[in-house]
Amino acid sequence: MPHRLELIGITKRFPGVLANDNVSFSVRPGEIHALLGENGAGKSTLVKMIYGIMQPDSGEIRWDGQPVQIANPKAARKLGIGMVFQHFSLFEALTVLENIALGMDSKIPSRELESRIRDVMSTYGLLLDPHRTVATLSVGERQRIEIVRALLLDPKLLIMDEPTSVLTPQEVEQLFEVLRKLAAQGCSILYISHKLHEIKALCDTATILRGGKLVDTCDPKAETSRSMAEKMIGAGLKDIVRAPGRSLGQPKLVISRLSTTKTGHFEVPVDNVSFTVRTGEIFGIAGVAGNGQNALLDALSGEIRSDDKDAITIDGYPLGLLDTTGRRKRGLCAVPEERNGHAAVADFSLSDNSILTARDRLGMVMLGLINSGAAKTYTGKVIADFAVKALGPASTAGSLSGGNLQKYIMGREILQKPSVLVVSQPTWGVDAGAAAAIHQALVDLASAGSAIVVISQDLDELRALCDTMAVINMGRLSPARPVGEVSVEEIGLLMGGVHGSTEAHDAVPA
Amino acid sequence: MPFRLEKRQEPSRFMVYATPVAAVLLTMIVGAIIFTLIGYNGIGAVREIFLTPLTNSYKWQDLGVKAAPLIIIGVGLSIAYRANVWNIGAEGQYVMGGLAGTWVALATYNMTGPWILPAMILAGVLGGALYAAIPAFFKVRFNVNEILTSLMLTYASVQLIYYLIRLPWKDPMGMGFPQTRLFAEAARLPTIIPGTIVHLGVPIAILVAVLAWFIMSRSVFGYQMKVVGAAPHAARYGGFSENKTIWLAMLVSGALAGLAGVLEVAGPFQRMVPGFPTNYGFTAIIVAFLGRLNPLGVIFAGIVMAITFVGGEVAQTTIGLPNAATGIFQAMVLFFLLAGDILVRYRIRRVQAAVGTA
Repeated sequence: MPHRLELIGITKRFPGVLANDNVSFSVRPGEIHALLGENGAGKSTLVKMIYGIMQPDSGEIRWDGQPVQIANPKAARKLGIGMVFQHFSLFEALTVLENIALGMDSKIPSRELESRIRDVMSTYGLLLDPHRTVATLSVGERQRIEIVRALLLDPKLLIMDEPTSVLTPQEVEQLFEVLRKLAAQGCSILYISHKLHEIKALCDTATILRGGKLVDTCDPKAETSRSMAEKMIGAGLKDIVRAPGRSLGQPKLVISRLSTTKTGHFEVPVDNVSFTVRTGEIFGIAGVAGNGQNALLDALSGEIRSDDKDAITIDGYPLGLLDTTGRRKRGLCAVPEERNGHAAVADFSLSDNSILTARDRLGMVMLGLINSGAAKTYTGKVIADFAVKALGPASTAGSLSGGNLQKYIMGREILQKPSVLVVSQPTWGVDAGAAAAIHQALVDLASAGSAIVVISQDLDELRALCDTMAVINMGRLSPARPVGEVSVEEIGLLMGGVHGSTEAHDAVPA
Repeated sequence: MPFRLEKRQEPSRFMVYATPVAAVLLTMIVGAIIFTLIGYNGIGAVREIFLTPLTNSYKWQDLGVKAAPLIIIGVGLSIAYRANVWNIGAEGQYVMGGLAGTWVALATYNMTGPWILPAMILAGVLGGALYAAIPAFFKVRFNVNEILTSLMLTYASVQLIYYLIRLPWKDPMGMGFPQTRLFAEAARLPTIIPGTIVHLGVPIAILVAVLAWFIMSRSVFGYQMKVVGAAPHAARYGGFSENKTIWLAMLVSGALAGLAGVLEVAGPFQRMVPGFPTNYGFTAIIVAFLGRLNPLGVIFAGIVMAITFVGGEVAQTTIGLPNAATGIFQAMVLFFLLAGDILVRYRIRRVQAAVGTA
């Protein structure tokens, strides 16, 4: 039997970068094949060529043994290639059925489409009510829409791009069931991820890319997570080093009855949240995306101000009424989840991006004028200390890859030595090597006496990093507990909260 | 559709600055063709409008005098537009600046002293700023689109001129003409080059542009304008209030339009007349964009637009081109500039007829 998909010597060059350098691998029918690599290793470029979004400069793509030219995504779908993107393209105000109908290449009467959707859902156990509005669905349910959309085309190869980054552990397990069922029926799956234990649990083969080159094709079940990570980053992996004999000190950041008002149409507000973070403590907040994390970060950073000055205090000093600048001067720095357009301005140089948050704490302003030399020096230090791959302080933020930009942003805040640091998704979309460096920097900052709040959807990250953990669900925070005393299952249930328990009742079994 | 716009990876730096030049050249070429087709001497028209003001040294003073208000207003607009605050009503703020200056000039008609002119300028700046405060207030308080309010207030300001010069401010010796009396000597802007019409407003315009360039590139204020315009969410994270920025952008652009107004009424006009609104406020929108929203670029763009004003007058007398021709040429410059900007950011790609399209 010929290979379902075969890549032979694929090379793709962008100005100044060799994104893919002579990459060859193949996927058998019914195989779940992992594509593994750091940010900027060339995974996305490779997948974009398979899905017809880009064309290779040289090399050949074979489909069922025949050489093919995939001119565009429509041609890819016609061949039988489906793709589920990391970022969903769904209209929140429309129903599941309407969203799927909009994405179809050919027009199908909605009655017929609905019966086909129900067929697909019952075959693969994807529970979902086609008539629900997308805005009311959890992220896991939204992902199911994208999967159903891809499966309606009867794909022979399904590409999944980082599918589990937004799911609860229970949802991940459900997704794996669906993927295994698909594979058993002969559909090949190309699974892009950097979560190594998932790849070990799910995949038959793993192709590892580094710097655009293929490093290894291996059997993930025969490897350890560590050995794969080391192949991925091309060096030994460092564990988080904690200072011995560390003890938590006095309460530093105290949040009491913090609430926000609902602003956007679909934005979940923070509802009466209280917690305490001690000196040297890393406090983790788990939760499925869209449960009020954004509002919580904005309320802590000062983008949303409180009416109550005592809602937020540092060492007893009330910060509730201050804006972001006032809170930064008092030692509270924050990193929001969205890098482009929120934590950084893509069109600005890194140096100008340093002015955005560091200008007051580091004396970059004199009499209303900006000392651009100081900004440049500080940016250079961030680039050097955090190993940011950038040409220099004058590079624009938009020219950096996501992981490098994240390293820069984390460095920009950490080197200001804040007494309280609040970060959301510190390693979102960041490769293992960079993530380890960011984790170590956070641990070091805590050891030096800062209080740190980490909001993340990555449970592994929180369990590795934090001393204490709580779960946010629909804007409410669960009681905090030491990390060692709480199991993944318990956290998963708290994360699921309303969503997890009701979806089974709401969904219509076809 | 067989064609599609596709975003470029990174727009070329060179093209960003070459577009304004290309827009002016294209305007000359297309203008020549259009005016030939409708029966004028097209090439002559382009020569008279774009070249005569430059080659005839006698016209240079006109250029300076016309460019000065365009540059002053254009600088203000370039600051506001950086922050994505779309003040379209600079013409109205210019008028209010002129009226405020006129008020001081008339109130001090029988007085003399070196303080009168500075007082007029101060009044003009305040007049423009206060008039721009109206759209700023409605934008911040009720989220009313500032494009609409600032534009409509322009027409109100013009009616205010007509009222004032027909009734309370009418020249008692004017034989019924709707205009104010000629300002007293102390209220007139001095010429700086004897024997010409080049007045103090011209060096002021250059000074304003250079100062604005320095502030925009070096100060926290300039940073605030740029960051709010480029990424409002990041600006809030960085501690810059969006409402404060709207106020600042509106007040600064209004103040500069008011400054241009008072310099104009105290310089070339020396009295308030019905013909005071000369569309400088609208043309300055083109100037701001042609100058790439950079105060130094605005100096050059202001001169280019002044050339079309002066050249338009020349062409009226020499080859009988209608007055509206100037407006057509100015509009073409903006049109080609905006079209060029699209092509700098996007490329046109032919979409292949996809397989199996319904």
